[in-house]
Amino acid sequence: MNDLRRTPGTLATVLESARQTLLLSCRDRFWWVVGIGLLVLPALAYVLAGRASERIDGRSLYCVLAWWLLGTVVVPWLTLYLGVQSVHGRIEDRTFQYWFLRPVGRGALLVGTWLAVVAMASAAAVLGVVASFAAVAAHGELWPDGVDWRLAWVFCSVLVAGTVAYGAVAALLATWFRRPLVWAAVFVVGLQMLAANLPVSAGLRRLTITDPLRRMMLDSIEPDGRLAQRLWPAEREFRSELIEHPLRDLAVLVAVALALAVWAYGRTEYDSRERE
Amino acid sequence: MTDPLPSSDAAAAAAAPPAPSLALEFQRVSKWYGAISALSDVSLRIGCEIVGLVGRSGVGKSTLMKLAVGLLQPSQGSVRICGIPADRRAARAEVGFCPDTERLLEPLSGVQFVAWMLRHHGFSLAAARDRARTVLADLGLASHMERPIREYSKGMRQRVRLAQALAHGPRFVLLDEPMTGLDPIARRELIERIRALPAHGVGVLVSSHVLQELQDLVDRVVMLHQGRVLAEGRVAELRDQLPRQPHRVRVIAADPRRFAAIAVTWSGVVGVRLDRDAVEVSIDGGPAFYDALTELGATWPNGIQEVVALDDDLASVFGYLIG
Repeated sequence: MNDLRRTPGTLATVLESARQTLLLSCRDRFWWVVGIGLLVLPALAYVLAGRASERIDGRSLYCVLAWWLLGTVVVPWLTLYLGVQSVHGRIEDRTFQYWFLRPVGRGALLVGTWLAVVAMASAAAVLGVVASFAAVAAHGELWPDGVDWRLAWVFCSVLVAGTVAYGAVAALLATWFRRPLVWAAVFVVGLQMLAANLPVSAGLRRLTITDPLRRMMLDSIEPDGRLAQRLWPAEREFRSELIEHPLRDLAVLVAVALALAVWAYGRTEYDSRERE
Repeated sequence: MTDPLPSSDAAAAAAAPPAPSLALEFQRVSKWYGAISALSDVSLRIGCEIVGLVGRSGVGKSTLMKLAVGLLQPSQGSVRICGIPADRRAARAEVGFCPDTERLLEPLSGVQFVAWMLRHHGFSLAAARDRARTVLADLGLASHMERPIREYSKGMRQRVRLAQALAHGPRFVLLDEPMTGLDPIARRELIERIRALPAHGVGVLVSSHVLQELQDLVDRVVMLHQGRVLAEGRVAELRDQLPRQPHRVRVIAADPRRFAAIAVTWSGVVGVRLDRDAVEVSIDGGPAFYDALTELGATWPNGIQEVVALDDDLASVFGYLIG
């Protein structure tokens, strides 16, 4: 058997862990809910676009719909659920032992799981963006200057960046807490909603994902004053100086969350939890 | 690395690299969970042999095993596998562990599950699948290995757990309550396979809370009580010190009434009680009941489905040892 095995490197472990997480998660019935959601979303967008034709143009309607529905509800919850389920689910049902017994780094296993979660959530987010955009674009009367296809690309990239960050936060919550979904709710509903109403200078905003994502989006779509206020109600006068460096803020948050998650995953004796 | 599969021929056994003289070593190991002491000053030295770890539920058997495979860290002392500290990756390559947890990766087939674990030992995709098939077939799962694990019986699950512990060719194997839920034939097969492991250069530590289960299997026994090693030695030596311990066994049979009618005639059986789909048998503690049960299992295919020891039958043994 010496011919058959060799010590797997970190990259090989990351990729194998991602592959296994993808294959395992794909069998989850949860994806039926996601599939139904992906059918309901464009239907909803189509109906709303049909009713809103006199009050709002296609660009504004799509931006409002994509940001408030996909950006602040669907993508955060989908990614946090997938991330928590993939990491904490194994700790809860004690199947993590089978992976921890292998001669590989726990950190590499976790990073692979995170990558798989990001890939799954990103795929769902991109499908959601494209489907809802197609539904709004089908109402040609809403786009007097022609359909702005660039919006779909902007929201795809913003929401994929969101899945990267929410996936890292999910890994952090799943490795540190016994009830990570409760903490996820505190993060999304408590911290992010609270921070959204704070002035742009508030440091607390740095701890959220919504804030840098919103700045990334606004930077890309270059909104007029009215659309800017619909997307960022807390800021009465949107100015481009408010954008600052959203990608850097997001990267710092992802790096810190992942580093803390890897540290905890490598050191915590999850097996002793039942005794404590 | 060795191939621990018992089906391999004698030549393979002869070709196996020499086993380390000391496969598992605990040096004055203690483990605390906050104020609770799970293990206290335990020292153990196990070579290429089969050692039984016996003790009531909650005395620290699983903790000791998880310390040995690096899932837990000792609060004090050191644990080494083949001379390597147990928390190192290199140690995990040399050890196989069959945990007592019921849960497996339910949507996967037996082959997929074992192959997935082998991938983390550096096996290629094709080699991992081939190896998984070989090991599972050798453990008697040839016709079921492609079915999802969620459809497996308790005994089949136990074999899958055993397969993932053996497939990568470890030099030391830890089996946590491996007989739980197995019928007499599966039990006998498992005992035969475990007994063949030392010939292939593999040391074994097997835990059970039923002394009877281990008597035909192990070279020596370590008895744990309240996190301490209470007694250690060859089974015969320890048994000679102990009085015969009566205890009860719950047997799930295809036809419980038929089984009860047969069991009541066996020597060593002092009482039989029918309880819905199971039969509760009180026995005098001698081996006659287990011998008869194994014989019946061989002549009554699928008749005996599960055997579970009901009593903490070691309780009085410990009382005797503690004085």
